[in-house]
Amino acid sequence: MSEHGDSRARARATTDIELRHLTRTFGEIRAVDDVSFVVGAGQLTGFVGGNGAGKTTTMRMIMGVLAPTGGEVLWEGRPITALDRRQFGYMPEERGLYPKQAVLDQLVYLGRLRGLSGAVAKASVTAHLERLGLAERAKDHVEKLSLGNQQRVQIIAALMGAPRALVLDEPFSGLDPAAVDNMADLLREHTSRGVPVLFSSHQLDLVERLCERLVVLAKGRVVASGTPDDLRATSVARHRLVLSGDAGWVRGISGVHAVDVEGRTALLEIIEHGAERVLLEEALRRGEVHEFSPQRPSLAQIYREVTA
Amino acid sequence: MSTIQQRPEPGRTGGPGSTATSATTGAPSGSDGLGVTGGTGGPGGFAADGQEPAGDGRPWVIVAVREIVVRVTNRTFLFSTLFTLVFIAGFAAFSAWQAGKTTTYTVAVSSAEGTRLVEQAVASARTSSDTVVITPSTVAGEDAARSAVDRGDIDAWLHETTSGWALTSGDDVSLSLQTPLEGAVRDAALDRNAAAAGLTVEALERGATLTADRFDGQTTNRGFVQAATFAFALLFFMGVLMFGQQIAASVVEEKQSRLVEIIATAIPLRALLAGKVVGNSVIALAQVVLFAGVGLVGVSFTEWSSLLPGLSTAVVWFIVFFAVGFFALACLFAVAGALASRTEDLQSTTSPLTTVLMLVYFASFALSGTALKIASFVPILSVVTMPGRIIAGDAAWWEPVVALLVMAAFSAGTVLIGEKVYRRSLMQTRGRMSWKQALRTAD
Repeated sequence: MSEHGDSRARARATTDIELRHLTRTFGEIRAVDDVSFVVGAGQLTGFVGGNGAGKTTTMRMIMGVLAPTGGEVLWEGRPITALDRRQFGYMPEERGLYPKQAVLDQLVYLGRLRGLSGAVAKASVTAHLERLGLAERAKDHVEKLSLGNQQRVQIIAALMGAPRALVLDEPFSGLDPAAVDNMADLLREHTSRGVPVLFSSHQLDLVERLCERLVVLAKGRVVASGTPDDLRATSVARHRLVLSGDAGWVRGISGVHAVDVEGRTALLEIIEHGAERVLLEEALRRGEVHEFSPQRPSLAQIYREVTA
Repeated sequence: MSTIQQRPEPGRTGGPGSTATSATTGAPSGSDGLGVTGGTGGPGGFAADGQEPAGDGRPWVIVAVREIVVRVTNRTFLFSTLFTLVFIAGFAAFSAWQAGKTTTYTVAVSSAEGTRLVEQAVASARTSSDTVVITPSTVAGEDAARSAVDRGDIDAWLHETTSGWALTSGDDVSLSLQTPLEGAVRDAALDRNAAAAGLTVEALERGATLTADRFDGQTTNRGFVQAATFAFALLFFMGVLMFGQQIAASVVEEKQSRLVEIIATAIPLRALLAGKVVGNSVIALAQVVLFAGVGLVGVSFTEWSSLLPGLSTAVVWFIVFFAVGFFALACLFAVAGALASRTEDLQSTTSPLTTVLMLVYFASFALSGTALKIASFVPILSVVTMPGRIIAGDAAWWEPVVALLVMAAFSAGTVLIGEKVYRRSLMQTRGRMSWKQALRTAD
């Protein structure tokens, strides 16, 4: 895609979803506490956090299913309306469909409720069914489908008819690896036309692989947000040291935190600048250094740090 | 998508040209009909911001149509409807056949006097009903009569005893045979006794008649009124219970599966409720009209066909009352569905409604006099009791009109409150709510 086309598409298509100080309390419990972040147009934003961190509550408030106790959601720089949301694709956390209605019929019904004409809805649903390998199940009742296939039908319900934004709660759970890739491709097609996509997931490796940005939620608050590299920058650098002899002595070096020592290998955090010099000199005095390398922290590691 | 083409907004994005833009820039693998490349206003998707939705049809109509289609294509529903129709038609046909059937009796006699009595009985039977034929047959005496009855050649033996006449049979004598013979024997005896006393039968019977009538000159059939009221009560009770439970089940189905969250982001919940109530009311009403129509045709074949005009008026009123009353009840059943969080909760959330329905059902038989008169103005109760009074002929023309207005007001109020409770409780996913809680909860 050319730069020109990209910027044109972005200017034309959509804007960001902006959350400002969004708060929701249930009785005494603050499920979501002053959450602010932006789901950028054309960006795949991952939403991570443990169980009960407030992801679903936040998404429900974006979609207007739940009223916020405080704060607001902006779309095109103004408070979002029901008519805006009508053109969003939404996938709730707990899923279900009409068990006794044919796949095609109920998807077209849901499309028409969202304001698509019958013909447009049908064309879009049919194309998606083919794409996800469900074309020959179009006339089957949903209850006859496997759980994985029901999940695909749910995905179509959210993606059909070129929605202007996507809010997906755990869209990848229950999918096999091939379907995950398929789904990821589909989502990228939507972001490439400038649509903001927010999706939550427990699978951190997946989020790392797919997302341009991520937002980490813990106990109802945003504890980190930005690109994966932004998040890595805030993390303490780790180094792996492999020696010819036992590495137990590294625990005694000041300015260095030994995260893990096992035989001749040690995983270290350099807390004081310059401590690595002392460490290496001591190591060379004691024997050979086979490896001393910086470790790129995994998202899982960063996640553990920020939510700790 | 015509909305967009008619109203392109200059300087705004999302006009008809947008499709071309993204097509030429070649969005990756999106030109396969998924609607991905359609931009915001292309043929693949939604209208541009702020514009009317591009779909065809109002949301509540789309919901109502789905409710109807799902219901009408449901096999259980079709079978139960068909079964009820066959039952009504079968019952009418049976009554008609029973009424139109000609029964022939052969009565054995042993004397000329007996033959004369039988002939007289035949004549009187013919004037009262044309479905009984009696033929005499002569036998020698008791033994011959007994063996003829045993063989099935004759139905009974008419013979003289010391105190009068006796009709002897192998089993109980049928009333439709006994009654005309009794009349004939009595007439013959009266004739003879009157002549012996030098009088005529007419002189003897003068002043011995009793007729019953009403001040308003109406003629009614009490059994018929009761039967019709029972039919109304049954139709109402069955219809509301069946469709009410269906509405509640379909609401909780959406709530339990969280489909309602997807629907709620697309259309106002008010439209969802309206669609459900209207859709189910249409089918419920169609079913009642069908049953009532078949029932009326059935009645026209029975001995009650002369009462058909009065009955038809009452049936029309019943259907109007049913429609208005059902609307309120449908809304309440939707609320009952919204209060539940799982299908298993339905029994407890619908029980206040089923209790009220049971009361209506029993009140329609139990009430009479002033109580019935009052009941015929009480909403929901009036659905059954007012048409009953119309058939009985003791309702002035304005009474059903007033009762209907009272119920319409009640229905309107119920729908307004019901809509609020429905909205409040539908998004509550944490367990079952009580009716009281739902009324208190804020939005």
